[in-house]
Amino acid sequence: MIAYAPYLILLLPLLAAVSIRLFLYPFPRISITVSTLACLVSFLGSIGLLLFGSSMGEVTAPALPWIEWAGLRANFGILGDPLARGMATLVSGVAFLVHIYSIGYLEKEPCRSRFFAELSLFVFSMLGIVLADNLISMFIFWELVGLSSYLLIGFWVERPAAGAAANKAFLVNRIGDFGFILGILGAWALFGTLSFADLPSRVAASAPGWAVTAVGLGLFCGCLGKSAQFPLHVWLPDSMEGPTPVSSLLHAATMVVAGVYMLIRVLPILEISQVTMMTIAWIGGLMTLLPALIACQQNDIKRILAYSTLSEIAYMVMAVGLGVAGPAMYHLTTHAFFKCLLFLAAGSVIHGCHEEQDIWKMGGLGKRMPFTALVTILGTLALCGIPPLSGFWSKDAIFAATAHSPGLAAVSMVAGFFTSFFMLRMILVAFGGTPKNDAARHAHEGSIFMTAPMAVLACLTVVGGLLPVESYLHFPHAEGHEAWTLWVSLVVALAGFVPAYHFYRHATQDPLSLPALRDKFYVDEFYRRVFVSTQDAFARLTDAFEGWVVRGFLVRGSGVVARASGQGLRLVQCGQVQVYAAVFILGVFLLIAWLWRQGVIR
Amino acid sequence: MEPIFFWVLAVGLVVSAIGLVAFRNPVTSAVCLVVTLVMEAALFVTLEAYFLAVVQVIVYAGAVMVLFLFVIMLLDVKEEARQRPPWAKVVWVVAIGGGAVFGVPRIASLFPAAAKTLHWEQGKGGGSAAELGRLLFSSYSPLFLATGVLLLVATVGVVVLCRKDPES
Amino acid sequence: MNFAEITLGHYLALSSVLFLIGLAGVILRRSLLIMMMSLELLLNAANLALVAVGRFQGLPDPQVAVFFVITVAAAEIALGLAILVAIFRIKKTTAADQLASLRF
Repeated sequence: MIAYAPYLILLLPLLAAVSIRLFLYPFPRISITVSTLACLVSFLGSIGLLLFGSSMGEVTAPALPWIEWAGLRANFGILGDPLARGMATLVSGVAFLVHIYSIGYLEKEPCRSRFFAELSLFVFSMLGIVLADNLISMFIFWELVGLSSYLLIGFWVERPAAGAAANKAFLVNRIGDFGFILGILGAWALFGTLSFADLPSRVAASAPGWAVTAVGLGLFCGCLGKSAQFPLHVWLPDSMEGPTPVSSLLHAATMVVAGVYMLIRVLPILEISQVTMMTIAWIGGLMTLLPALIACQQNDIKRILAYSTLSEIAYMVMAVGLGVAGPAMYHLTTHAFFKCLLFLAAGSVIHGCHEEQDIWKMGGLGKRMPFTALVTILGTLALCGIPPLSGFWSKDAIFAATAHSPGLAAVSMVAGFFTSFFMLRMILVAFGGTPKNDAARHAHEGSIFMTAPMAVLACLTVVGGLLPVESYLHFPHAEGHEAWTLWVSLVVALAGFVPAYHFYRHATQDPLSLPALRDKFYVDEFYRRVFVSTQDAFARLTDAFEGWVVRGFLVRGSGVVARASGQGLRLVQCGQVQVYAAVFILGVFLLIAWLWRQGVIR
Repeated sequence: MEPIFFWVLAVGLVVSAIGLVAFRNPVTSAVCLVVTLVMEAALFVTLEAYFLAVVQVIVYAGAVMVLFLFVIMLLDVKEEARQRPPWAKVVWVVAIGGGAVFGVPRIASLFPAAAKTLHWEQGKGGGSAAELGRLLFSSYSPLFLATGVLLLVATVGVVVLCRKDPES
Repeated sequence: MNFAEITLGHYLALSSVLFLIGLAGVILRRSLLIMMMSLELLLNAANLALVAVGRFQGLPDPQVAVFFVITVAAAEIALGLAILVAIFRIKKTTAADQLASLRF
């Protein structure tokens, strides 16, 4: 029985979600308590696994049997290797902090119970991905996470923009999942197993070829969708329509990095093919630069942070593409801390300015919300990779890996330049200067529920660099640091601050105007022109078919035919007896003739 | 039996039948019908069905035709007006009738039994009352009883149908 | 057609001619009374055929059948004329084409 205890970590949030949904909607306080407690217990359980597991080696709980065929075995089990345990602790810990924050952020929201139910559902799904021991159960939780994201983005159901954004997120994810499924099936066909524990041994016997490349690229498609990399990155900025706690938990710290986690899990398959690794690395590299450029011209505080998230995830993807999983996970961990912190701070700002999200309508918040300003600065420094904060160590590990690919190194360092640029722009405009409107003038800090989690995250941001992430995860360590990447990246990042300071020190409106950047390089418009309109035309065609052929011809037509034939046959009833007699006699003669023909009458 | 009897009776039968159908005056038609029925009775005699011939005259030519004439006089049915022949109906009848008239002898010739000739033989298929009665009351007695009930029902039906509505 | 020897075929031919004349009367005449008299003609044609066959095959049974036919015909005429009288009382006519109200 005790052996099944690890499942509690997974199932308690599910229990919370179900009980809130079924019984507790009218009782927001009880719902909040149930949801937060479940998350806390999951966190404590994960810590327990983390600490005790390391003394016992791998911890696996017995699997629950599900699919057991001749060729395929896919059961629900928990893979308790260090990677999973560390990730589970991270996810449940950050989720717990966001739960506390949401208590303060949504205290005036009437549908709080629903929010916490959906949040618990998300925690369950995300832990499911992290703890899954084979690709199929991971895929099931993958889809569940997509569902939770849909529900949470579209939380404010009365806003059409939120609904549209939720749809977009789900549909774009679905496209990625299509490739993911193909990859899973290919992996099964090639290697005969889908279990992460068995993969390394099976894979070692394979040779590179187009099949393995295809499988690797298919699996990468899943990452493209979930982690929002090019070309499926369009949903993440729109997902900022959801409440800020959702943006911080799902779309910064945990859900979007599920793609990276999955890639690390299937790294044995990816490593066989050079083509796959190159593709992953270069897509990652390009995606570090692209969103950084776009963010330089964005005015919504959450969108700026969303684009910076895209860029940071790209760093992780690039690291996986270069074959170094350790730095990727290291950056994943530190990114979770400072990005979540930045989003919570943004939420505090929005809350303080009474739901205002445009940075040009804020201003002067540095004096009015000093704590928020301080944590934002700390988060920014970590994000830009300034020592001694955590982000510096993790980003530097990734830069070290790019030392042998000058192209990638150049791209990612230029991205670092622009990251510094737009982050300082954001801070100067929102926190510096003078208040631009009334709401900003009367801004104030949030309640203790909002400030406490930020404080915890700020501490983690500062000291996170000391966490022994890479050694704990037992990943093969790359060669020693190349000193030149460290210095060059630091100089470039610091250099990014200079032009931002110059332009935005006292700016009341944006002195730079670059339409291509502001309009996100027109990717959305391209998609709408090419894909959405063809889909629309096809939908209109099928609608016309349904209207004319099915409804008109078949359904109404059969009615018309019945009616017409009835009207026609009515004419037989003429009322004239003699006509009836004549027809009767004719019928008798025909009958006799027919019987004669049959030989019945000899 | 001389063939001449048959031919005379046959011609007379057909002529009076056509007369029945053709005359516009209902009384004339009724008289033609009487003639037809009597001719038919004579034909029954040539077929040695004596009992039936008598029954035919008594019931048909006697009772039924009297009934017809009573009704004609009761309703004071007028002579039917001359009218253009209903061409559709005529075509109908000519088609069916003509086809049948030419078809029937051919059909009849297919039956070997149709070539049998008539022989006067006493007792063979005799039409005496005794013979008929024996059959009626033994093999066909249920039908006989049913016919009795039928006649009762007809009587009651006629009385009901011809009642005038009570004035009240 | 053999004029000297009278065969069963002759009787049957006569019966069918009678039948057809009766049919013509039913279909072509407008007056209901004449229609009923033509109906009698039809029945008589059938009777003739029955008796002829019975005589030529040596069977007494057709004569029993004719007996029943005559009886039922009498009953049928009685009822038919009663209905005719009832209709005439209401419609004041016995023309078949004017009694066509049972139509669509």
